[in-house]
Amino acid sequence: MEALIAIVIGVLTASGVYLSLRGRTFPVVLGLTLMSYAVNLFLFVMGRLMIGIPPVIQENATYADPLPQALVLTAIVISFGMTAFVVVLALRARAELGNDHVDGEENH
Amino acid sequence: MTLPIIVAIPFLGAILVSWLGTRGRMLSAYATTFMSFSALMLLLPQAQTVMQGEIVLWRYDWLTSAGLALSFRLDGLGLLFALMILAIGLLVILYARYYLSEKDPMGRFYAYLLFFQGSMLGIVLSEHIIQLLIFWELTSISSFLLISYWRHREDARKGARMALAITGGGGLAMLAGFLLLGEIVGSYELTAILASAEQIREHPWYLPTLVLILLGVFTKSAQFPFHFWLPHAMAAPTPVSAYLHSATMVKAGVFLLARFFPALSYTPEWSWLVGGAGLLTLLIGAYTALFKHDLKGLLAYSTISHLGLITLLFGIGTPLAAVAGVFHIMNHATFKASLFMAAGIIDHEAGTRDMRKLNGLWKYMPYTAVLAMVASAAMAGVPLLNGFLSKEMFFAKTVYLTEEGTIPWLPIMATLAGAFAVAYSLRFIHDVFFNGEPIDLPKTPHEPPRWMKLPVEILVVLCLAVGIFPAWTFGPLWASAASSTLQADLPAYSLSIWHGFNTALAMSLVALIGGIIIYLIRKPLFRWHENSIAHIDARSMFQWLEQKLFGFAAVLNPILHRSSLQRMVAVTMLAAIAVAFAGFWGFGSITGSQPLSPVDPVSLVAALILIGAAIGTVILHRQRFMALLMLSVVGLIVALTFVKFSAPDLALTQLSVEVVTIVLLLLALYFLPSIPPRESGAGRHTRDLVLAGLAGVGAAGLAWAVLTRPYESIAGYFLENSVPGGGGTNVVNVILVDFRGFDTLGEITVLAIAAIGIYALLEGLRLTAPEQDYDGRSWNWDVHPIIPAAFSRLLLPLALLVAIFVLLRGHNLPGGGFIAGLITAVALITQYLANGIEWTKTRMSTGLPPMIGIGLLLATLTGVASWLFGYPFLTTTFTHVHWPLVGEFEVASAMMFDLGVFMVVVGVTLVILLRLGQLHDINRPENVVESEN
Amino acid sequence: MNHLVIAPLLLPLLAGIALLLLRGSATPMRQAVSLLATFTLVVIAFQLLLQVADGSVLVYRLGDWSAPFGIVLVADRLSAIMVLLTAVLSASVILYALRGADHDARFFHVLFQMQLFGINGAFLTGDLFNLFVFFEVLLIASYGLLLYGGGADRTRAGLHYVVLNLVGSTLFLFAVGTLYGVLGTLNMADITQRLAKISEEDLGVVRAAGLLLFAVFALKGALAPLHLWLPGAYGYTSAPVAAMFAIMTKVGAYAILRAHSLMFGPESGPVAGLLDPWLLPLALITVVAGTIGVMASKRLSQQAAYLVVVSAGTLLAAFGMGGAEAFAAGLYYLLHSTLAAAAVFLLADVISKARGNALDRLIPGPELPRGQLLAGVFLVIALAVSGMPPLSGFVGKWLILQASIGEPGMPWVFAILLVTSLLVIMTLARTGTMLFFKIEEGATAGSPVRVLDLGAPLALVLIGIGMVVYAGPVYEFGQAAAEQLLRSEAYISAVLQAATGGPQP
Repeated sequence: MEALIAIVIGVLTASGVYLSLRGRTFPVVLGLTLMSYAVNLFLFVMGRLMIGIPPVIQENATYADPLPQALVLTAIVISFGMTAFVVVLALRARAELGNDHVDGEENH
Repeated sequence: MTLPIIVAIPFLGAILVSWLGTRGRMLSAYATTFMSFSALMLLLPQAQTVMQGEIVLWRYDWLTSAGLALSFRLDGLGLLFALMILAIGLLVILYARYYLSEKDPMGRFYAYLLFFQGSMLGIVLSEHIIQLLIFWELTSISSFLLISYWRHREDARKGARMALAITGGGGLAMLAGFLLLGEIVGSYELTAILASAEQIREHPWYLPTLVLILLGVFTKSAQFPFHFWLPHAMAAPTPVSAYLHSATMVKAGVFLLARFFPALSYTPEWSWLVGGAGLLTLLIGAYTALFKHDLKGLLAYSTISHLGLITLLFGIGTPLAAVAGVFHIMNHATFKASLFMAAGIIDHEAGTRDMRKLNGLWKYMPYTAVLAMVASAAMAGVPLLNGFLSKEMFFAKTVYLTEEGTIPWLPIMATLAGAFAVAYSLRFIHDVFFNGEPIDLPKTPHEPPRWMKLPVEILVVLCLAVGIFPAWTFGPLWASAASSTLQADLPAYSLSIWHGFNTALAMSLVALIGGIIIYLIRKPLFRWHENSIAHIDARSMFQWLEQKLFGFAAVLNPILHRSSLQRMVAVTMLAAIAVAFAGFWGFGSITGSQPLSPVDPVSLVAALILIGAAIGTVILHRQRFMALLMLSVVGLIVALTFVKFSAPDLALTQLSVEVVTIVLLLLALYFLPSIPPRESGAGRHTRDLVLAGLAGVGAAGLAWAVLTRPYESIAGYFLENSVPGGGGTNVVNVILVDFRGFDTLGEITVLAIAAIGIYALLEGLRLTAPEQDYDGRSWNWDVHPIIPAAFSRLLLPLALLVAIFVLLRGHNLPGGGFIAGLITAVALITQYLANGIEWTKTRMSTGLPPMIGIGLLLATLTGVASWLFGYPFLTTTFTHVHWPLVGEFEVASAMMFDLGVFMVVVGVTLVILLRLGQLHDINRPENVVESEN
Repeated sequence: MNHLVIAPLLLPLLAGIALLLLRGSATPMRQAVSLLATFTLVVIAFQLLLQVADGSVLVYRLGDWSAPFGIVLVADRLSAIMVLLTAVLSASVILYALRGADHDARFFHVLFQMQLFGINGAFLTGDLFNLFVFFEVLLIASYGLLLYGGGADRTRAGLHYVVLNLVGSTLFLFAVGTLYGVLGTLNMADITQRLAKISEEDLGVVRAAGLLLFAVFALKGALAPLHLWLPGAYGYTSAPVAAMFAIMTKVGAYAILRAHSLMFGPESGPVAGLLDPWLLPLALITVVAGTIGVMASKRLSQQAAYLVVVSAGTLLAAFGMGGAEAFAAGLYYLLHSTLAAAAVFLLADVISKARGNALDRLIPGPELPRGQLLAGVFLVIALAVSGMPPLSGFVGKWLILQASIGEPGMPWVFAILLVTSLLVIMTLARTGTMLFFKIEEGATAGSPVRVLDLGAPLALVLIGIGMVVYAGPVYEFGQAAAEQLLRSEAYISAVLQAATGGPQP
C-alpha cells in the first residue's frame, strides 16, 4: 500500500509540475491544483495509513494521527483561496494583456 | 575638543551657505569666508604646542564594539596640511567671488567648496584610519559635485563621473587595505599603527595590504596609470582646479604616503611600487604637459608630474628624501595654485585658454604677466624660488642613490624630467605673454579687478620668500611636519640656497639649458608628437572600458533576468529538486524499517483511476473542458482516499471544495480562448518532462521514505486532551478550533483577503464572451428552465438546515464550520445557477458581503474574550447545558469561533462565484463591451 | 501571560477587519484608522523590544496549550527587532500612501493591515506550520497590494509572482510534511531537539526536507537563482507597495537566519550547519546578478528593484559567514537596506511624477521644479544604498567586511562586495546625472514637487542617519541578538518549558 500511495503522489506531482510549466494560464492553474492535491495527500499520509478506525473518541479504540488531518484541512482551505485568486487573476491578465499566455506574449 | 570643531565648521558652513545662497550671492561669499577664517583662527593657537613636537589627540567612542571611534589627531604633518587647506582655501574663496559669473549659482558653489574643505581637513586630522577613509571618500564626492558644477556641460558631467569612478574605486581598495592593516595591528588608531612597523612588514598580508592602500593613494594623487582623470577634472571652474586639483585634494594621496611612511616603507616592495609609479608619472606628466595647447591642460599635466616627483621622493625611502617630499608638497601647492589662478584670470579676461590663440598678452596685462612668470619660474625650479630648493633636494637624493649604486640612471631621468619642466614653463610664459599678437580672441584682454589679483600676489610673494629665506619662513613649520612624518628626529639637513657647486646644481643647470633647447625645437617636436604618441589616450581607454562594461551588462541582463514565468518555475523546481537530492545523497537509506501494509484491490483500482485521470489531465490539457473533467475525477478520488483512510472531515471538505473549484474553473473557462495555439518546441517539452519526472520521483521518494519509517509524534497528547481539555470528541475539529485554532484564524484570514483581492480584481473588468461554445453551438440565453429553479428553491432551506446541523455537531462528529459554510454556499449558488443573476441579485447583495468581516471579527473576538478570564488568546472553555427537546447539549466557546469560520466561508464563496457569475452576465454577447487590449 | 507578544498581530488584524467593515464610510475616516493602527504598532513594537532587550525569551501559548502541542509565539531579540523594523517601515510607507497612492483607499488599507498581520506573525511564531500559514497570509495580502491599480505590466508581474509563490507554498508543505513524518512535531524548538537525536539512517530524509525548506525561504528571500521574480514584482507595482515589499525579502532572510541558527544550528547535532555549503556562495552570486541588473536598468524603479536583490545577497552573505560578528553585521545591514530600499522606491515615484512624460525612465528629461532639492535627496539616498561613507550603508558594509576577515571566504567577500559597490556607485552617478543634469529642451515637467511628498523618504533617510549616529547601540543590540541566536539552547528550553495552564494575574 505504501508504495502505491507513494507512486500516486509521485504521478500527481509530476503531472502538476508539467502542467505548471505550460505557457497558458489555464493549464498552469490545473497544474497548481494537481500539485495541491498531491501535497494534501502527502501531508495526510504523513500520519501513516490507518484503515477503518473511528474518527472520533470512543471507548477503547486506536486512532489515526489527527494532526496531519487538521493540517491538510487548513492546507485545502488555503489552496482553495489561492486557486480562486489565481483563476480570477488569469482572467484579469487575459483582459489586460489580450491573450492568455503567462508572459502576455503570443510568440511563445 | 577644538579639532572636531575645526572639522565640523566647514560642514556646518556648507549647510548654512546653501541656505544663504538663495538669499543673496554676496551673503554666501561672506559666510564662506567667515567659516573658513574662524576654522583657521581655531587652528592657529594649536600650532604652538604642535611645533614643540606634541601631538593633540581627541577621541569619542562611537561604534567601539566594532572598533570604530571618532578620533582626531593634530601633529606637525597634519598642521602643515590643515594650514595649507585653510589658507589657500581663503584665497580661493576670495578669487572665486570674482571668477564666477552672474548666472552661476554662488551659494551652491561655496557650499560644495566648504563641503570639500571639511572633508579634506577630516583626512589630515584623523587619528582613526577608517574615519580617515570616510573623509577620503567624502572628498571624492565633493570633487564630483564641484567638477560637475556646470552641469549643462557634457565634458563636466563626464569628467566628474570619471573622477568619481577612479578616486572612489581607489578609496574602496584602500578600505580593504585599512581593514587588513587594522587586523594586522589590532587597532585602527594611527598611533598604534605607526608604533608597530616591524609587525606590519613581517606579516604575510603585508604585500596585499600595501598594494590595496597604494591603489587608493595612486588614484587620488593621479599617479600613472590612474593619472588620466585629473586633466578631465579641469572641466571644473578654475578656482576648483586651483584648490582641489593642484593644491590640496590630489595631495591627499601623497599625504598618506607621508602618514604611513614609518609604518609601511623601508622595504623593496615599497621602493619599487611607490618609486616606480612616481618616476613614470614624473616623466609622463612632464613630457605630456609640453604638448598641451590648453593652459589648464598644461598645468594639469605639470601637476601630475610634480605629484610623481613627490611620490618618487617617498619611494626613494630615505628619511631625507621623505623630508624633501614634504617640502615639495608645500612648495608645489603655493606656486601651482597661483599659476592656476593666473590661468583663470587669463581665461576670464581673454575668453580662451588655447595657447595657439593667446599670444603677446604682455601688452594687455603686464601685471598678471609678472606674477605668472615668477610662479612658473618656481615651477621650472629657477634659483631664488621655492621650487628650486625642493627640486635641488630631489636631484641630490637621486645622486645619493646612484652613489649607493642602486639605480645609476635615476639622475638622468630626473634631469630629463627637469628639462621638460623648464620647457613647459617656458612655453607657458613665452607663448602666452609674448610670441607675437593674439589671434582672434573672443574679447580684448585687460587686467582683472584688484581683488582678483590679490590671492595670486600673496602666493607669489610666498614663493619668493621661501625661495630666498627658507629657514626663516617655513623652516619651523616644515621641521615639525617632517619630524612627525618620520616619527623620529630629523636627519641633518640644510635649508640654505647655496650648497656650493655640486652634482645637484649641475643637474639643475643641465635641466635649465636642456629645457630651453627643447622649447626652441618645440615645432618639430610637436609635429612628431602629433603623429605618434598623441593618440595614446588613457581616458578613451577608460571610457571604452566603461562602455564595454555597461554594454555587457545591458546584453547579459535580459538573458539573465528575462521575465518568463515558465523559466522561473523551471528554475525554482530545479533548485528545489537539486538541493533536496544533494541533501539526501549519501546519508541513510531511503527505505525504512516499518513493515508494509497489504494492497487491497479496491485501493489498487482507485489508484489506477487516479493515475489515469492525472495523466489524462496532462494529455488533454489543450482540450480544456475535457482536462477539467479529468481534474474533477482526480479530486473525487482524492476525497475517496480520505474516506478510505478514516478521515471523514477531510473527505467532506475535499468534496465541497471540489464542487466550488470546478464551478469556478467552468466559469473561468467560459472567458478563456477555447482553442489555445500550439505550445512551443519539442525541446521545452522534453525539458519539462524531465523536470516533472524528477519532481515526481522526489515526491514519491519522500513519501516512501517517511511511510516506511516508524515515528512517535505529539498526536497522543491531542487524543488524550481532546475531550477533557477541548470538550470535543472529534479530535480533528478540536485541533482546528482549539489546539491549533490560530492556524484556522490565519486560514480564514487568507480566505477573506483572497475574497477582497478577487473583488478588487474583478472590478471594472471587461471580457469578451464567446458567441459559441466549443462545438460551435451558440449559447442559449433563454430564461432559466423552471423545474430546476423551483427545485433548487425547495432545496435551499433543507440545505441550510443540514449546514447548521453539520456546524453544531462539528465539535463532536465529522463536520464543523468550514464544511457547513461550503454546503450553505453551494446551496445558495444553486439558486443562482438555476434562477440567474437578476433573480439572485434581488435576494442577496452581490457586493462584498459584510458577513466576511463579521465572521472574522467574531472569530478574533472569541479569542480575545479569553483575556477577560486571564487566559491567553484563543483559550476555549465549554459547558453542558440542558436544552428542552434537544436534551443534554454541550456549548463550547470554540463554537463561536467555528461560527465565525462558517460565516467567512459562506461570504467568501458567494463573493467569488457570484462576482464571477455577474461578470459572466454583464458580458453576454447582447451587451458585450470590448475587452481593453 | 504577557499579551504584548501577540499585540503586534492582533492590532493589524483587528484594524484590517475594522477597515473591512468600514468600507462604506468616508475615505479620510478609513485612512485615519489605518494611520492610527500603524503608529500604535510602532509604539507596541518598541515596547516589545524593550521587554526582550535583557535577553529574555517571551513565550506566548495560544489557547493556553504549551509547546510543542499548541502553537506558541516566541519573542526574542531578533523577532522583536524585525517587528519594530516592520512597524517603522510601514509607518513611513503609509504616510506616503495617504498622499494619493492608496487611490480611493477602498481596499488598500485593509490589505496593508492584513499584510502587517502576516509579516508580524511570520516573525513571531515558533511553529513551523503556523509559519506556513502566516506566509500565506502575507502573500495573499501582497498579491492584492501588488496588483493594486492594475495595468498590463503590473498584472503580468503579479501573475508571475502569484504562480511562483504557489509553487513555493507547495514545496513548503512537502518540507513540513516530511519533517513531521519523521520527527512527529511542528514546533521549531522541538524539531531542533529531535533533530539532535536523529538516527543515522533517517538523516538523509531530514536533510532533504531541511534543504527543501531552505529553497522555499530562499525563494522568499530572493537568493539566486530564485530571485528572478523580484525585479518584475517590485519594479512594476506602485511605489508604496514596493517600499513595503522591502521587508518581504527580509522575511525570507529572517526565516533563513532562524533555520540556520536554530533548526540547523549548534543544538541540532548531526544536521548542524546544513546550510553552510550553500548560503555564502549563492549570496555572493546574488550580489553579482543584482549588480548586473542595476547597471542595465532603464528605469529608476527597476534599478531600485535590482538594488533590493543586491542588498538581499549582501545580508545573506553576512548570515552565511556565521558567527556572532557576522550575524550582527548582517542585522545592521538588514535594518539599513530595508529602509534605504524603501526610500529609493518612494523617491523614484516622486521623481517620476515631477518629470512628466519622461517618468522615471533614465532618459534626458525636463528641467525639474525644485530640481536642486530632489537631486540633493537623491544624492543622499544613493550614497546610502551604494554603501558610500558616511551613511548607514557604509557602516553596514564595513561591518560585514570586517566580520569576513579570517573567514575562508574572505577574498571572495572582499572582492565581490567592493567591486560591486564601485559598479553601483558608477551606475548611480550615471543615473543621477541623467535624471537631474541632462536637460531635454522643450520637455515639459510634471506637477511641481510638494515638499510633503518628500516627507516619507526624508523620514527614512533621517532614520538611516540616526542609525549612523547611534551605530554603537544599534550594532550592540545586533550583537546581543546574534549571541542569543547562537545560544539556541536557551531559546529551546524557554519555549518547551513555558509553564502551562491556569490564569495569570
